[in-house]
Amino acid sequence: MAGSALRRLMAEYKQLTLNPPEGIIAGPINEENFFEWEALITGPEGTCFEGGVFPAKLVFPSDYPLSPPKMQFTCEMFHPNIYADGRVCISILHAPGDDPMGYESSAERWSPVQSVEKILLSVVSMLAEPNDESGANVDAAKMWREDRNEFNRIAEKIVRKTLGLS
Amino acid sequence: MRAASITFISLALTSAVVGNAFYHKKQFYPSVVYITKSNPSMAVIYIQALVVVVLMGKLMQKVFFGQLRAAEFEHLADRSWYAVTETCLAFTLFRDDFAPRFVAQFILLLFLKAFHWLAEDRVDFMERSPIISWIFHLRVISLMFVLSILDLYFVNHAYESTVSGGASAQIVFGFEYMILLMIVVNIGIKYVLHTIDLNSENPWDNKAVFLLYTEVVMGLFKVVLYFTFLIIMVRIFTLPLFLFRPMYYTLRSFRKAINDVILSRRAIRNMNTLYPDATPEELSAADNVCIICREEMLTASKKLPCNHIFHTSCLRSWFQRQQTCPTCRLNILRIPGERNTAANPAAGAEAQAPHAPDVPPVPHPGLQNPFVNGVFPGMFPFWQQQFNLQPPNPLPNQPHHPPGHPPQQEPSTSSGSASGPQPGLNAMPPPFPPMPPGFGLPFFYPPFPPTPMPPPFGIPPPMPPPGLAHLNDEELQRMECAAREGIAARLQCLQNIQQLLDAAVLLMQQYSNAAATAATNLVHVPLVPQMPTASAAPTAATPTSSTSSSSSNASATIPSSQPSSSTNRNTPANVKTHSSEVPSSSRSEELKASTDVKISPRSEGTPDSTATSSSPSVATGLSREQDEIRRRRLQKFSGNPEPLD
Ligand SMILES: [Zn+2]
Ligand SMILES: [Zn+2]
Repeated sequence: MAGSALRRLMAEYKQLTLNPPEGIIAGPINEENFFEWEALITGPEGTCFEGGVFPAKLVFPSDYPLSPPKMQFTCEMFHPNIYADGRVCISILHAPGDDPMGYESSAERWSPVQSVEKILLSVVSMLAEPNDESGANVDAAKMWREDRNEFNRIAEKIVRKTLGLS
Repeated sequence: MRAASITFISLALTSAVVGNAFYHKKQFYPSVVYITKSNPSMAVIYIQALVVVVLMGKLMQKVFFGQLRAAEFEHLADRSWYAVTETCLAFTLFRDDFAPRFVAQFILLLFLKAFHWLAEDRVDFMERSPIISWIFHLRVISLMFVLSILDLYFVNHAYESTVSGGASAQIVFGFEYMILLMIVVNIGIKYVLHTIDLNSENPWDNKAVFLLYTEVVMGLFKVVLYFTFLIIMVRIFTLPLFLFRPMYYTLRSFRKAINDVILSRRAIRNMNTLYPDATPEELSAADNVCIICREEMLTASKKLPCNHIFHTSCLRSWFQRQQTCPTCRLNILRIPGERNTAANPAAGAEAQAPHAPDVPPVPHPGLQNPFVNGVFPGMFPFWQQQFNLQPPNPLPNQPHHPPGHPPQQEPSTSSGSASGPQPGLNAMPPPFPPMPPGFGLPFFYPPFPPTPMPPPFGIPPPMPPPGLAHLNDEELQRMECAAREGIAARLQCLQNIQQLLDAAVLLMQQYSNAAATAATNLVHVPLVPQMPTASAAPTAATPTSSTSSSSSNASATIPSSQPSSSTNRNTPANVKTHSSEVPSSSRSEELKASTDVKISPRSEGTPDSTATSSSPSVATGLSREQDEIRRRRLQKFSGNPEPLD
């Protein structure tokens, strides 16, 4: 019998394959290793990221549902809640007590109730509604607040890049 | 590509050097001497040796690991960097021994270390892949075998050379290979555990515990080894700087392992003592997927105070990290302390108060039975004289009884002691005397047979107190103590009272329903006297039946003549809800509404309640709701340990 982390990841993969949420594809990069996934997230409609297809990588810890995975976009991103190197900073990816930003309430933190699907859906809604109090990317946060047009322009450029258009 | 070209260049250089030497000397020994005398030639030879070693390493890696995964490679690169810097530090310590042979030994050590790290990563990978082939097992087993043989050989070699030649750099090698041997043993244990797990049919819950203890034991060995080595090094040579980083990491991981063991033990203890096992019915409920592992709960599962159910093993590993319910984040360390052990009555009262506003959880001098004291003051004064009932003030005294010594009264002597403001009017007797389960039923049933009403007290209510005379002085003192058991006993008494009140309300509700279904407007009131009747001495039961029927007439007139404002005179505010609905008992529709509304919030406070949202729907599914409440009450009665006599 495989370990519980592996069994749960396999179950989640099965679930995601059978009932894929709209605009999200996710699965192990290599089915020999279920602890490294890649995901493709389409930008939510009606936002500046609309139309983009953003690849990301998820790395799961060996005690997976007890600790959260790490998520990192592998394409260029410009967003208040995404570090320059692509790491995603949202509360669902942090366990309570592990608080890099110091503002998140524990209700939306990681717990085994969460899942890959919920993480990806949270990321989609994060793309739609950035939290500009989080300083993962200070420049982006500032621009989001003060110069929305410029922000939209950069986002559109990134969207075009992910589609291989420019 | 670059590696290949480097290999080729070094090979070409070596052949040139060797060919040149051979061309000049024509013979083997003179050629060797010629090469060793020339520094450039020796440099070429050394480079060639290094290339050969690297190639050998690559070959070994292909044999034992196949293609390295990206993560493994990163890991290896990180650790190699540290290992190389530490080796350089060690070189400074042994400047005198510096020789090609010494360097070669260090390089060999580095290679072997790298293989140990890779083996560790590989064995950890067993948990991550669903596909473990026989080649994997073959590789891991043979690798561990080779590594342990090599480690043993070098430890032995270092020991021999130290014994024969005195302390030298061989001590460092011996120690490093000892550490590597530990790592091999650790990997071997992990491998065995993983293999057992992979080949077992069912999930192996205790594997995590075994891994934890392995970690602790191996950590302890390593720490001891490091400290021994540190002492030896300081005494013979000097402070070994190159030792500090690995030593720090070893200590840190050892501390973490010990911490994990402590947390795990605490989690297991909590699991075993604080939380009940989920019953088969709860497990067979519709959605019984454990939220932690996403698998069905067929085996050992635990229920938390918030009614969430999880696998015991899943919960244990979660509690090692956080002491909250994974689903609702209830802090399970705080809640059970209040609810189950009653160590903190004030906090417990606060916790209960919002759910149970109608029942005061702390001793309250003014707490009286609302039906009697609040609603019908002066209605049954004759009871006291006629039947010589027990004095009505059980509540103020009850809290002073320790567990095992249930509340009790000195018969008819303490009527004026600590009772309510109107002792004479408090016709409410103390908790029920022991009676057979069906004893009081004839009186509880309404006089019309075809009502679909279940017996309200299928289970005897809380035990009555034995006489005070049975207690010795010591027990009496214990009753008054403020220690934990005393408080627990008081809380227990209050819970009993609470149950009595709940039961009374339920009873009333059933009567009103019965009255409504029978469409009569005459005979529904006797329920109020039922409490006194049932709880009075069994001898008094028969005469009381006539009394209660007579009193029913009286009470039927009360609601109209006495508005509820007057009924609150002696009733604490928090029991008002009980009293205020009694006057409306003649209007069964209103009663239905008021009791339902009142019972539902109360049921939130019970640990087994699940349906807080069901209260709005009571109007429709009234009987179902009733059944549900009754079931819970019964559960509660049977679940709560009752005071023994
Ligand atoms: Zn589980
Ligand atoms: Zn819960």
